[in-house]
Formats: sequence, C-alpha cells, structure tokens
Amino acid sequence: MTRISRLATITVSALAVTVFAAQAEDFTIGLSNGWVGSEWRTQMIDEAEEAAAAWKDQGVDVKVVVQSANVDVPGQIAHVRNFINQGVDAIIINPNSPTAFDPVFAQAKEAGILVISTDAEVSSPDAMYVGIDQKGWAEESAKWLAETLEGKGKVVAINGVAGHPANQMRVAGYTEVFDGYPDIEVVNEVNANWDQAQGQQAMQNLLATYPDIDGVWVQDGMAAGAWKSIMDAGKTGDIAATGEIRKDFIDLWVENDLTSGASVNPPGVMASALNVAVLLLQGNELKEPATAGQYGNAMYLPIPFIDGSNVKEAATELDGKPGYYSYTDALSIDDAKALFK
Amino acid sequence: MSDTTVIAGSAPRSFRRFIERFPFLPALVILVVLLALNGLFEPNSLSYRAIRGLISTYLALILLSVAQTYVIYAADLDLSVGAILSLVNVGIIMLMQHLGGSPGGVLLACGAGILIGLACGIVNGIVVAVLRLQAIVATFATSILFTGLALYVLPVAGTPAPTVYWRTYGGTFFGFPFVFYVAVAIAIVLFLIARTRLITQLLSVGDDQQAAYQTGLPVTLIRLKGYALCGVFAALAALCVTGDTASGDPLVGGEMTLNSVAAVVLGGTALSGGVGSVTGSVFGALIIGLISSLVFFVGTPSEWQNLVQGLAILLALMVGVLVGRRAKS
Repeated sequence: MTRISRLATITVSALAVTVFAAQAEDFTIGLSNGWVGSEWRTQMIDEAEEAAAAWKDQGVDVKVVVQSANVDVPGQIAHVRNFINQGVDAIIINPNSPTAFDPVFAQAKEAGILVISTDAEVSSPDAMYVGIDQKGWAEESAKWLAETLEGKGKVVAINGVAGHPANQMRVAGYTEVFDGYPDIEVVNEVNANWDQAQGQQAMQNLLATYPDIDGVWVQDGMAAGAWKSIMDAGKTGDIAATGEIRKDFIDLWVENDLTSGASVNPPGVMASALNVAVLLLQGNELKEPATAGQYGNAMYLPIPFIDGSNVKEAATELDGKPGYYSYTDALSIDDAKALFK
Repeated sequence: MSDTTVIAGSAPRSFRRFIERFPFLPALVILVVLLALNGLFEPNSLSYRAIRGLISTYLALILLSVAQTYVIYAADLDLSVGAILSLVNVGIIMLMQHLGGSPGGVLLACGAGILIGLACGIVNGIVVAVLRLQAIVATFATSILFTGLALYVLPVAGTPAPTVYWRTYGGTFFGFPFVFYVAVAIAIVLFLIARTRLITQLLSVGDDQQAAYQTGLPVTLIRLKGYALCGVFAALAALCVTGDTASGDPLVGGEMTLNSVAAVVLGGTALSGGVGSVTGSVFGALIIGLISSLVFFVGTPSEWQNLVQGLAILLALMVGVLVGRRAKS
C-alpha cells in the first residue's frame, strides 16, 4: 500500500462522511444527572450514550453532551442553563427536585428545546416524563408478595428516605395493594434510607421484635441487606421478601433458591427517554399523548418483573457483568417507533 | 501588623500597596480569565441571555458569600448560612401559600422571611459571641437545628411558589431583566454598608480582638451584630433561590454553605479576619459558578467532572494566595 492510495482512501472516506453528514439528521442531546452516588446512575448514563450511538445505523447522528456531578438544586439549574447556551436540541434530566425546575424548563422551551425528565417526575408543564411509574413499581411487588403469601400473614415494610417523593409514591403503592387483602397485616414500617447496611440492621431489629413475620416488602439495594439478615437468622425458607436487581443479589437468589420477587426500575430508562426524544425531534407524533401521572405529563414505560419463574434467565443475561451491574431493559429504537403514529 | 516597617525588597512597594488596598484584584483577574475561557469554548456563554442566566442562578450564592464575609471579617465563621437559607425558603413558601398569591401577601411573606433570617443570625450571635462557644462547632450545631426546623415546616420538597413571585424574578421590566435591578440594588446596599462604622469595627475585632477590647470597643455586641447581618443576607439569598426554583425544598441550601466559605477565600478575604472585601466575595461566588460551567464547556468526560472542578477551584485558590503572599513579602 502506497502512501498515496492510503491518502486517497482517507480523502474518499472523509468525503463520504461529509456527504453523509450533510444528508443525515443531526441532533445534540444534553444529559443532566445531579447525583453520582450509585452505580445505577453511572449505568444509566452509559446506556443512554450507547443508545445514542445506535442511531448511526438509522442515518441519524445523535451527539450527547453530559453533565454529571453531585450538585445542589441551583447547580443543576446551572446545568440546564449551560445546555440552553450551548443550543442543544433536547435535554434529558434525572432531576434533583420535582418542582424546582419549572422556571428554567419554561426558558428552555422558549428557546425551542425539548425537555424530558426520567426516573423522577417533574411538575413542569413544559417538560414530559419518560420512565416507570414509581407507584406501579411498588404495586407489582406488593401484589407478588400478597399472592405468594396466599392473601394472609404478617408483613413488615422497609422504606427509603422519609419525605422523598419517589419513596412516598412507593409507600402509597404498596399500602393500596395490601389494603385490598384483608388478611394481610402490616405490623411495622421503618425507614432505612436506601442504604444496604441500614436495611440489614433494620431487618435484624424487625426479626427480633416480630419473630413470626411471613413477608417483607423492601426496596432496592436494601433488599440485599434485609435478605442477609433473614439468611443469618436461618429463616430463608419461612419468609418471602421482595428482592432487587443487581447481579450480586440475583446470583445469591439463584444459589439459595430464595422466595423473592423484584420489580425492575431499569437504568435503561434514560436510554428509552433518549429514543423517544430523537423520534419527537424528527417531528413524529405520539399515538397517545403523554398525559399520565399526577402532573399530567408522564409516559410510563413497562415495568419488568423478576420472580422464581424467570430469575435464572435474568442471571444468565447478567453473566459476565460486574457484581454491581443492574438488570436492565430499555425501549429499542423499534419499540419506541411503535409508540408513534 | 507590627512588622510593616520591615519591608523586604522583593515586591515593589506600589504593587504591595495596590493589593493591600484592593484585596479582590487577584479574584477579578481570575474572573476575567474564566469569562474569556468560557467565551472561547462556548461563545454563547457570553450572550446577553447567558449573562442573565448566570446572574439569576448565582445571585443566591453571591448573597450567601456576602453574608459569610461579614462574620469572617471578625474572624468568626458561620456554617449555618445554608440551613438559614433553607429555613427561610420553606418559611416564605408556606407563608405565601397561607396568605394567597396576591402581591401584598408575597411582600408580607418576604418581610417575614428576612425577620426569620435575622432571628437565626441573632441565635448564632448569642451562642458564639455571648456564650463564647467555638464558632465553627456552634454554628454547625445550629445548622442542624435550623435544618430540623425546615424539615418540620415542609417535610417534602415541593409546594410551588405563587406564579407572580417567580414570574417577577425571571421577568423583564422597562427593557431590563428584574435580576439586573436586584444586582444594582445589592451593589448600592453593599457600598453603603461598607461605609458604616460597624464594618470598621468588625474588621478591627477580627484584626486583634484583645486590642479592640482594650480600646473600649463592645466586642461581644459587634460580633453579635455581624451574625445578625449575616442572617439577613442569608435570608435575601433565600428570596433569590425561591425566585429561581419557584418551590420549597428543606435541604436546598445545605451544600451551599461551604461554597460560600470558598467564595470568600477566593475573593481575598482572610479567614483569620481583619482583611477583606465583599467585592471579592461577589467575584469568588461567580468564579465558582464559572468554573463548573467551564468544566462542562471544555468537554470533560462525565466521570471526571467532579475531580476537574475540585482541581480548578484549588488552582484558583493557589493563584490568589500566591499573589497575596508576594504582595506581603
């Protein structure tokens, strides 16, 4: 290979790229994440970046710009303002507050920017929400627990941070479900701040106080801690408890044949939101406008569920991933297209 | 201060005087450089709309840093400014909800908010200056107290502010954004306060408390007044946060406390008291804001953004300290 022919190849391919880019649609999407305290958030951003790259095959060039750091609410408002200054086409945000972004989202909309929140709903009429229904998420696992206990027994609940909007929605979800089963008695509800160690401690205390409980409803990573206490107490076979979606826990679940069930809040929600955003930017119209939820601006995604019947498949899917990797799911481009006219 | 006569020959005398007279100069230089860099990497960041956005976002931190400056003048510290901000934020949100969204009700709530800030400042002044507890620990304790009160007033983030309030804050009047008028008003107020006797007294207490006491200054009362002034400015910061977020959040100010201390130091005010300027603190707050924008505009990968931001603030601090030291030597 001579230098000239190589040069020619480069020139031709460069030309091809330029021509292609001129024809292709070109979108810049800003991703804002205001908390970097868990692997789930990192995975969320990685999956969204992969989803953006996948649009290349469709002839659409999606460039993502990311702002991800531990910030306070004003700091995340500054994220949004930076995106506005940069002139992005859309902003996808995992917001630190449900209500604080109303004014800045209004400014983004004025600047012609599409705003989508994910993972947590926002009250702004200028934004839409693409993600799971946190209340429905809790209802699914509560239903699984009630039915596994055949509609009767003593249950305890271990919740996240008191006063956090997502936690309040989840509590409302399971309370409603358990109210529908007159023989299910919720004997105690405690808060363990979404912390695995605190979850383990809380479960130990609960087991000491109520040795005869039949079921435990527990959220997210705290489930791994709670199950550790249950196993230490030698009650693995006597108690049914909800689980979580990280590989470490799913492996433990399969090994010890736990009686568990887990609603999945997949880190892929941001990737799903990105696919919806690109289709909206292309000018497509949703078959059903996003009007769900308490703020009337939500589009809820299906919530996968893992229980004894499919946990082995989940384990196979996660094979080879690191222990903190979460079981995930996202709307593919084709799935997302099916939602549009 | 005693060795002012022993001037080493390394720094030119005029330069030294200049820095002494205007301690905020290094901060001003850093600020201009950051503005230029932001403009270089993202030309839009110097647009009219962007400058307006910068001011409305960072007005709160600016005011909080000014608040912090007044206690640092007297060699004190207030680790509860963020908690006072949160408490005033939820306080006025709840008051506005009860009084209805009328302009009169909103103004009444703002007045009450400032009184809440003043009360918090007086509490700090009493524990630090009157009861003589260590400022750093005592205000840390009161910050927990104020946060607890804020959580009691509003347990969950939410509750929207009346539309008239945030539409005014984000609105335009006679061709200029409302926040520009606020900025000008604050500049005038700061200028007037800087000429009062209280500021001179705070600085002399900070410079040498013993000497100030021996010359007959009421040291305890002066420090208490410093904390009260700090509380009022923290409340003003809360009014701005409420304008920009249009809602109540009992934890909104928590992370702003240390930023306010950093802004004061970046602005050339000595933590040991006696030397400084509020102008510097204003620049310091803007530096912190511009650094985080710049980190993004240069295209830092997301997993490095926190680290690079920390390094940049450290660098800005070092530049300021080195220039100041050179001036003193």
